[in-house]
Amino acid sequence: MTRGEAVDMVREHLAEELGIDATEIAESSNLRDDLEADSLDLYTLLQEIEDRLGIKISDEKAAEIETVGQVVDMILAEQGGEQGS
Amino acid sequence: MVTVAVDAGGADKGAVEVAAGAAEAVRGGQIRVLLFGDESEIGSVPQGVEVRHAPVSIAKAADPASAVRTTPQASVVQAARAVAAGEADAFVSGGSTGAALAAGVLHIRRQPGVHRPALALMVPVPGAPVLLLDVGASTEVRVERLVQHAHMGAAFGEAVFGMDRPRVALLSNGEEATRGTPEVIAAHALLAADERIHFVGNVEGVGIADGRADVIVTDGFTGNVALKLMEGVSSAVVEAIRSAATSDPRAAAGALLLRPALGGLKDQLDPEAHGGAHLLGLRKVAVVPHGRFGARGYSKAILLAAESVNSGAIERTHAALAAAGVLRGS
Repeated sequence: MTRGEAVDMVREHLAEELGIDATEIAESSNLRDDLEADSLDLYTLLQEIEDRLGIKISDEKAAEIETVGQVVDMILAEQGGEQGS
Repeated sequence: MVTVAVDAGGADKGAVEVAAGAAEAVRGGQIRVLLFGDESEIGSVPQGVEVRHAPVSIAKAADPASAVRTTPQASVVQAARAVAAGEADAFVSGGSTGAALAAGVLHIRRQPGVHRPALALMVPVPGAPVLLLDVGASTEVRVERLVQHAHMGAAFGEAVFGMDRPRVALLSNGEEATRGTPEVIAAHALLAADERIHFVGNVEGVGIADGRADVIVTDGFTGNVALKLMEGVSSAVVEAIRSAATSDPRAAAGALLLRPALGGLKDQLDPEAHGGAHLLGLRKVAVVPHGRFGARGYSKAILLAAESVNSGAIERTHAALAAAGVLRGS
């Protein structure tokens, strides 16, 4: 999976879950402050990513997530893909 | 036979009260309970109740969603997993609404197309019962959730309570379409233009109890405050009547005559008599009783969950939502 594909996947999920336009979601978007996502939104996102890609994001790493870009980094780290925006 | 997974963790009166409620619920022989909690605290149980040792409670966790993810051994998680795995047909948890919601969403999962489950309670207003939602599942206010919860409440009211084209209202601080928070105003505009729902506009707090609507929708913060306020006032009024009725011999004589009628009213107003709220939007039935309920309340919650399974509440509500075209992505 390329970084662009991972960004699109996260963006698509958040746009649908949070009822916002996907163009409002950037890698730098803070999940809580910018997108007003709560903790359950984050863990629902991670669960969908894990189910779809067959990966497991550690609870420790999950607790550190603040931005969309960090979610993408974790996906790529678990998949051995490109990291850093 | 309906199997109900019950989380005994975090109940204010202890797991032993939850166990007593489970014992009461299985007495008729139509219900089986899987009881998740500390077996040393629960003690002996009758046939029909199976204790699953789960001594960890996350009812006091500051971040329930995180606690559900990181504490698989928690009683609420174990109970939700039993439902997800098909070991049980319904889920009952009164320890923490946030933990019940998170365990429901992350393990039982949402029905396809549902944004966020809502806690829906049939408020026992004498003569004019009303389905109020959300009474505490989510404090975040989002327009699309208010709109979907309006349809969800109407669908649930039709499917389970036999309401005929229920009148749906938004709770606000004024009846005009322009009154309320930006989210309420936006939701009002969408619902008013939607012919698939019998939307009757906004109601104020006093409107909850005057029979103007069958279903009233609000966010989880406001709904929870409104519900607790109603329960508190109702309890205080009942206590004031009791006090007045025993204030002198003449009043006591009158009270004696009124006792049968007032006793029935007291039962009608008692939250424990109704079992709790449905967590709507999950793939299986979930009921959330008050954490402060005793054995009677938990017994009623288990019976309510079993009744909802038997009536096909989940399937019928979801079918109605699909027919209304309000599921996410539809």
